Amino acid sequence: MRKVALVGAGVTKFGVRKATYRDLIWEAGKACFDSVPSVKPHGLEGLVVGSVMPERTAFQSHISSLAAEALGITPSALSARTEHMCASGTVGIRYAYAFIAAGLADLVMVLGVEKLNQPVADEAILNMGTGVDRDWEACYGLTAPPCFALAAQKHMAQYGTTEEQLGLVGVKNHAHASKNPNAHFQKGVTLEQVMGSRMIASPLRLFMCSPITDGAAAVILASEERARDLTDRPVWIRGTGQALDGFTLTSLHEDYAHWPAMKRASQSAYRMASIGPADVDLAEVHDCFAIAEIIAYEELGFCEKGEGGHFVATGRSDYGGDVVVNSRGGLMGCGHPLGATGVAQAAEVYAQLRGEAGPRQVADAAIGLTHNNSGMGEHVVMVYGREGA
Amino acid sequence: MTERVITLKSFFEEARAGRLTGIRCGKCGELAIPPKEFCPACQQRAWGPVPLKGEGTISSFTIIRVAPRGHAGEAPYAVAVVKLAEGVSLLGRVVDMPLEALTVGLPVKFRPLVKGEQTVVGFGPA
Repeated sequence: MRKVALVGAGVTKFGVRKATYRDLIWEAGKACFDSVPSVKPHGLEGLVVGSVMPERTAFQSHISSLAAEALGITPSALSARTEHMCASGTVGIRYAYAFIAAGLADLVMVLGVEKLNQPVADEAILNMGTGVDRDWEACYGLTAPPCFALAAQKHMAQYGTTEEQLGLVGVKNHAHASKNPNAHFQKGVTLEQVMGSRMIASPLRLFMCSPITDGAAAVILASEERARDLTDRPVWIRGTGQALDGFTLTSLHEDYAHWPAMKRASQSAYRMASIGPADVDLAEVHDCFAIAEIIAYEELGFCEKGEGGHFVATGRSDYGGDVVVNSRGGLMGCGHPLGATGVAQAAEVYAQLRGEAGPRQVADAAIGLTHNNSGMGEHVVMVYGREGA
Repeated sequence: MTERVITLKSFFEEARAGRLTGIRCGKCGELAIPPKEFCPACQQRAWGPVPLKGEGTISSFTIIRVAPRGHAGEAPYAVAVVKLAEGVSLLGRVVDMPLEALTVGLPVKFRPLVKGEQTVVGFGPA
């Protein structure tokens, strides 16, 4: 297999945007092309677009072709859309990676985009319900927050994790987001504000959840030869892994505090990269809800099972700790425009490993990890390294 | 494809009449729910229907306060994952008990929750 690197990245402002679906594609594409001026649209051989529900939110399908035309890209090797609920962006990056590693393409853009906010406010919540099994689970009035609340409740009962520890994940990620001009939320929140925020699905309160957000992000992947032509600081894809436990809740590990598929996905990625969790300098993990980040510390191997709450409370996942988790502000601080999230995570690691993350820079960052999941049972992990790491 | 021993439709029709049905693998004895094609344990297709008593304990639960359209008028309501005595887990709506009484490990019993044409699984006091 050939080596593959990220050579460019760009992200739109995330938030409640007046922009149309196409506007968001334009904006992310421009930001990405601006980051690597020697790449022009006709130089790209492929485009993969991660997007979950434009059929509902923008009355639009045929997404990859729309985005290619909007950006002036004329794919000659690869054009596809990925839909894998909240992990669609990273799943798209894996496809582009595989194409380039196999020698089927040399230069491919992966773009993630989602326009979630709708004129009728509860439309977005209804739409998010398409991610759970319609016949078996949605019939109970189940959407995403209650699924993760079941994991939180179990983690608290089993390991003594506290609501305050869940709240501290929100405090940390909102603080990081305050240094990210593209984040949905930039004011920061105090623990009192988190604990006083509205209960959504017990024990998850509003500021323990990611918001409904519009946004897009794009990265460019290149073969080793092209990468070395284009930049002196390529960010190498060192490892990747994906694993699935199941779709419906009752098909998962019967103890919802355990997400074995995340552990397997990370072990595949670590093995491929010839590294271990202690080598990771920064990790962009899928904090759709606070409990997800706490369980991620455990399954990714940053701490022992059951210690995730303590890990955040003692600052071990913040600057100055063992590993900086969610330096861009995570899904809670940046928002979670489904298909865009995994691509925005990659864009953050790209900036960090090139030393371009400004006030968010993790000192001497050499190895970065991204984790993207779709539900509690399906996980994707990428490991990136700077030159020589 | 073999004919389904039970389908989602027949599962909920049976549930409406107060009966919970799972499937048991005729080769290895694995119990499963909802209906599946292959046995996840031995990869065979030898399912037979098996009645479930509907008794179990709550393995996790959540009280939903922000509900999707179609359920908004019902909030707050609780959804629980119940480990049935036979060893298989089932999702259900908590009924006939105060939400503040819910704890992990609480014994509960199945009862059908009928809303017009639709039936879903409910769990109430044991």
